[in-house]
Amino acid sequence: MKKSHIILLCLIAASIAIISATFLDFSTYETFTTAAKKNAPAHVMGVLDKSQPLVYDPVKDPNRCTFYVKDKQGTIKEVVFNGAKPTDIEKSEQLVMSGRMVGDQFHCNSIQMKCPSKYKKESVVVGTQNS
Amino acid sequence: MTTNFIGENLLPGQLGHFFIILSFIASFFSGVCFFLAAKSETTDPKASLAWKRLARGSFLFHTIGIIAIFSVLYYVITHHLFEYNYAYQHSNKELPMKYLLSCFWEGQEGSFMLWTFWHCVLGWAVIRWSKGLENRAMTVISGTQVALTTMLLGFYLTPELKIGSTPFILLRDAMVGAPIFSDPNYLANFIKDGNGLNVLLQNYWMVIHPPVLFLGFASTLVPFSFIIAALWKGDYSSFIKPTIIATLFSGAALGTGIMMGGAWAYESLNFGGYWAWDPVENASLVPWLTMVAGLHTLIIFKATGRSLKITMVLYALTYALVWYSTFLTRTGVLGDTSVHAFTGEGKSLYWHLLVVLGTILILSAIMMARRWRSMPSIPTEEALSSREFWMTIGAFVFILSAAHIILVTSIPVYAPLVKWLSGKEIAPPNERELHYNNVQVWIAIMLGLLSGATLYLKFKKTETKAIFKKFLILGGIALLLSLFIGFGQKISGIQYVLMLFSAVFAIVACVYYAFGVQKGKLKKRGAALTHFGFAVTLLGVLLSSYGKEVLSINTTGAQIDLGKSDPMDALKESQENILLFRGSRVAMGDYFATYLGDSSSKEDPRQFFKVRFERIDPKTKQTIEEFVLYPDAFVNPKGQQGLSSNPDTRHYLNRDIFTYVNSIYKAPDKGEYKSDTLHAGDTLFLANSMMVFEGFERDATREGYRPRQEDVTVGAKLKVHTLEEGNYDLKPLLVVRDNQLITVDDSAKGIGLYTRFAGLIPEQNAAIIDTKQLDPKDQYIVLKALLFPYINVLWIGILLTAFGFLMSMWNRITKKA
Repeated sequence: MKKSHIILLCLIAASIAIISATFLDFSTYETFTTAAKKNAPAHVMGVLDKSQPLVYDPVKDPNRCTFYVKDKQGTIKEVVFNGAKPTDIEKSEQLVMSGRMVGDQFHCNSIQMKCPSKYKKESVVVGTQNS
Repeated sequence: MTTNFIGENLLPGQLGHFFIILSFIASFFSGVCFFLAAKSETTDPKASLAWKRLARGSFLFHTIGIIAIFSVLYYVITHHLFEYNYAYQHSNKELPMKYLLSCFWEGQEGSFMLWTFWHCVLGWAVIRWSKGLENRAMTVISGTQVALTTMLLGFYLTPELKIGSTPFILLRDAMVGAPIFSDPNYLANFIKDGNGLNVLLQNYWMVIHPPVLFLGFASTLVPFSFIIAALWKGDYSSFIKPTIIATLFSGAALGTGIMMGGAWAYESLNFGGYWAWDPVENASLVPWLTMVAGLHTLIIFKATGRSLKITMVLYALTYALVWYSTFLTRTGVLGDTSVHAFTGEGKSLYWHLLVVLGTILILSAIMMARRWRSMPSIPTEEALSSREFWMTIGAFVFILSAAHIILVTSIPVYAPLVKWLSGKEIAPPNERELHYNNVQVWIAIMLGLLSGATLYLKFKKTETKAIFKKFLILGGIALLLSLFIGFGQKISGIQYVLMLFSAVFAIVACVYYAFGVQKGKLKKRGAALTHFGFAVTLLGVLLSSYGKEVLSINTTGAQIDLGKSDPMDALKESQENILLFRGSRVAMGDYFATYLGDSSSKEDPRQFFKVRFERIDPKTKQTIEEFVLYPDAFVNPKGQQGLSSNPDTRHYLNRDIFTYVNSIYKAPDKGEYKSDTLHAGDTLFLANSMMVFEGFERDATREGYRPRQEDVTVGAKLKVHTLEEGNYDLKPLLVVRDNQLITVDDSAKGIGLYTRFAGLIPEQNAAIIDTKQLDPKDQYIVLKALLFPYINVLWIGILLTAFGFLMSMWNRITKKA
C-alpha cells in the first residue's frame, strides 16, 4: 500500500467520524411529556396560551420571561425563557422552543416564532430570539 | 361585469408585461440560435456564423427587455403607483430615496430580475471574450435566462397552475375578492399609502449587499457554461484559461457578497455577530466552498493533466448548489429554522425551482456520462511530495466542509423522510452555532496548514529535504507567534490552540513565500495573497469569536461562546441583558454605562437611545475615555407591536463595542404639573436639575408654533442646569388668540423635564410656570452589550482574499497563452 493511500484512508475515516458525530448532534421535536423523559435538550412546538399571564418584569430580572404554552398534544406547561420578552410574542401563532424540562417547567434559551402576516394569508417566521 | 376603476395608471404595467414577454421569447430564440450555431460550427461555418449573428441579436433584444423591465418597475415604485401590488407591498411614500432600490430586492420577483440582469451583463462578457466557446457557453446561458424569465411570466397554464409571478400584477388582481375593490375609486378612498419596506432592510448594507451577492450567484453560471461547452465539444484544453478566470472573478464576487451579508447582520441585526450559521448564510457559503475546491482541481488539471473528472463534477455541483440554495431560501421549506423572513411563494415556485434544479443535474449528468470514458486521465499515482497531491487533499477538505454544512442545513428537507422511516421527528442541533463551530474548527485547522504549506511544493515532485528545513523554520516562527498571541488572548482548548497555530503558520508561510521565494512581477503573487487573506480571515474568526465577551453580564472574566462543554451551561449563564434606569450608572465589564434618555426626529422614524459609556482607571478613579452610543429601534413598526431594534457600535482598531436595546419602558404620563410663580432671575430646584427664569420675550417664536396675525405671544426664557447633562434652553409660550389663552409647552426630554407657561401676573411682573419632572425610575431600557476583539482582522482578511482572487484573475488575463 502506498503512503498516499494511507493518507486518503485517514481522511475518509475523519470524514466518516465528522458525519456520524453530526448525526448524533441532531435534535428532535418533542412534546412536553416526551421532553421530560429525555435527558437531552429538545425542540418543542406549541402555541402561546393567551388565557394565562405572560410575565416579564425587567425591573426584577431583565433575563426572565415566563408564559404558558400548549404543545401539540394539548399539554399546557409554564415556559421560562432566559431573556427579554420576544417582540410580538403575544401575536404569535406558533412557537418553537429549544430547551429542556426542569421539574414542571420548560426552560429554554431560544424561541422561534411564527406571526401572522398582516397582508397575506400565510405566516412569516419573524426570527429567533436568543437569550 | 367589469368595473371602471378610477385613477389607475395601467400603461406601465402593460409595458412591463410586454417587456417580460419580449425578453422571454428573445432568450428562448437566442438559445435556439446559439445551439444551431454550435451544431453547424464544423459542418457549415457560414451557416454557423449566420446563426451566431442572429443569436447575438436576440440576446441584445433580451438584454434590452430586462433593462426595460427594471426601468418600468423603478418608475412604478418611485411614482408610488400603489395600484401595483409590488409597489404597495414593498414601498411607501415616506421611504427615503436611497432605500427605494432595496424595494427591488425585498420581493421575490425583484431578486430574480436582478439575477437575470447580471446574467445579461456576464453574457456579453462571454460573447466578447470566450472565442471558440461562445456558441456552446451561450446556449447554456440563454437557456438559463429562459428558466429565469419564466419566473417573471405570471402566466396561468390552467386556472390552478401558474408559471412564475410578475412584478406588474395589479393590487386588485393580487387580492381578488377584497371588499375595497367594489368601490371604483378604491385608490383614492382606501389606498392612501403602501405597506412599506421591512425595517430590517432599511440599512445601507441592504442597498449594496443583494446586488453584489447576486452578481456572485450569477457569475457561477459562467464557469459552469464553460465546462458544459468543453464536455459538449470534447475539447479539454481551450476551456481551461477562461474557466479559471471566470472562477477567480466569481470567487471574489461571491466572497464579497457573503461578507457584506455578514457586515449587514453585524450592523443591523441583533443576533450579536456577523455569522450565525443561519441556513440562508450557509446556502450561499456552500457553493463558494465547492467552487474553490473545483478551482484547485482545475489548476491541477492544467499543470499535470490529472483530476479533470472531479473538476467537472465540482463545477456542475456548484451550479446545482446555487439553485438548491435558492430553493432552500425561497420556497419556505426551511420553515422554522431561518431568521430570514422569506415566505413560501406558493407551490408553483417550489416546483418551478425543482424542475430547473433537476434539469441542471440531469443535463450535467448526461453530458458527463457521454464523455466519461473519453475524458483524459492519468493512470499513475501522484507523488506524495507533489503539489497536486496536497491540493487534492485541500479540495477534499473543502468538500467535507461543504458536505457537513449542507447536511445540517437541509435537515428540514429530509426530515419527513426520516420520520417516515424511523418515526422520529429530527430537528437541527439545539445549539446550532456551537455544533457548526465544533466541526468546522477542525476543517479550519486543516485548511490553514494546507494553504500555507502547499505553496512551497512543486507540481509532480518536490525535493523534500530543503522543504522540510523551511517548514521547520516557518513552523518555529509560527509557534513563537502563536504562543505570544495565545497567552495574550488567553486561548485554551486544544482545537483553538491548533487553529491559532495553523492560521499563524499559513500567514507566516504566505508572507515568506511571496517575498522570499517568489521572484518576478508582483501581479504573479495572487495565490499567495489569496491564501494570506484566507489565513488572516481564519485568525480574525478565531480571535473575534473566541474572545467575544458579553459586557452586559455583570461578572468578571470572559464568556467563551465557542467552547461550552455542556450547552445547558450556556443557558444558565445567559443572563446577558442588563436593566438601565434613566440617569443611573451601571458597571459593565471595564465600563460604566448610563442611559441618558431617548430622542426621535421628524426625518427619521427611528427612536434613538442615548447611552453613555465611561471607562475609569481603577487606581486613580479618573475617567480614561468617554463616548456615547445611540442604539436605535423602530418602535411599533407597521403591523407589529414592540421593537425592531438596530445596534450601535463603537469601533476601535483592535475591538468593537456592540450594543442594542432589547426592551424599553416609559411610564404613562401622569400629567401632574407643579405650579410656581417666578420673577425674572428666580431659580427653581428640581429633582435632578435647577432652572433659572431669565425673563420674558415678546413676540417669541419657536419651532412647532405657527403664529397667526392676531396672536399676542409671550415667551418665558428658562435655562436648565444639570450636573451630568449640560444646560438646556427652554422657552414655553403663552399665546393670546381670540381672547383665549393658549399654551405652547416646551420640554427637555433627555432629562424628563416638561415646562408650561401657564399664566402671567402683570402687576408683579411674574410668570406662573408649571413643571413636571418624570421620575428616572419611570423610564428604562434593557440593554445588551458585547465586545468583539480584533474583528477588523476578519474584515481585512476577507478583503485581502477577494483582492487576491482579482489579482490572480488579472495575472491570468494578461498572461500570454
